[in-house]
Amino acid sequence: MIIKMKYKRNFREADRLIEKYYDGLTTGAEEKQLKKFLMQSGLPERYEPEQAIFGYFEHKKEKTSFRIPSYMRWAGVAAAIALILLGPQLFVSVNQSDYAYINGKKVSDIREIKSQALASLGDISSSNDEVQENLNNINDNELIEKQLDVFSAIEK
Amino acid sequence: MRSIKKYVILTLLVGLGSLLPTLRAQNDLQISKAFDQYGERKGVVMVELTDEMLNGYDFSLFKSLTIKDNPSAADFIRKCLAKDESGAKKVKQVVSNGVPTSIYLQLPRKGQLYRLILFNEIISPEHKITLIYIESKNDSEDVLKLILKKK
Repeated sequence: MIIKMKYKRNFREADRLIEKYYDGLTTGAEEKQLKKFLMQSGLPERYEPEQAIFGYFEHKKEKTSFRIPSYMRWAGVAAAIALILLGPQLFVSVNQSDYAYINGKKVSDIREIKSQALASLGDISSSNDEVQENLNNINDNELIEKQLDVFSAIEK
Repeated sequence: MRSIKKYVILTLLVGLGSLLPTLRAQNDLQISKAFDQYGERKGVVMVELTDEMLNGYDFSLFKSLTIKDNPSAADFIRKCLAKDESGAKKVKQVVSNGVPTSIYLQLPRKGQLYRLILFNEIISPEHKITLIYIESKNDSEDVLKLILKKK
């Protein structure tokens, strides 16, 4: 009952403002008030022309055509975050995945790659052995004696 | 709208932050040119492994280049190494006939990563160059010991 009375009072007030509007006597605040009233849904049909003037139908159309459900918006934000976070990782994993080039041909078989890697490590460790061996040879008394023998043979 | 902007900026920063450590430290070295120049040629084996356990070795990055019968490549790598030597600790160098044939460099750490360059050239029975670049979270001395211990 109270609500109906409130509506009645609103309609009366709206009618007064509409009249004033057509007479060109409304203030900015009054037009705002009128617009607010006309933007309500479920108004009597007699207000349709004024609603059209104040863009109610355009507003409604616009709202229905561009409204994105909030869950979609959040899903979009989540997707963007995931893309930004995982994007570099994907980029990196694509570019820095394990590989080998053998005679110019790309190999992606991990066993072959590892075997090639171990072979190159083997080259380094075996070269170290050679150095060690050479160093041992320097200290080899037998070798030194042999070299000195060469000189003693010249003396004779 | 303002909150979406905040999200975008925050995610961009996080994304950039996650990208930065992945920019490999090797790119600032001259030897990267050797990998680029010779890696895909005939008579060459180039390997790249990331975050791999390799027979007991724990490498964040392992790159190797094995080149056969190409003495000019050895000269080129030696020149690259001469530049990369600055600021690095020379663990070992073997000079044969006035030419360095074996060089082990311990590079300054880059972030959490220890870095090593190993170069070796043998002439007989065939000419062969081996260049290895390693990044590891383990101390480079330990990595080197492990490599030299294994046969």
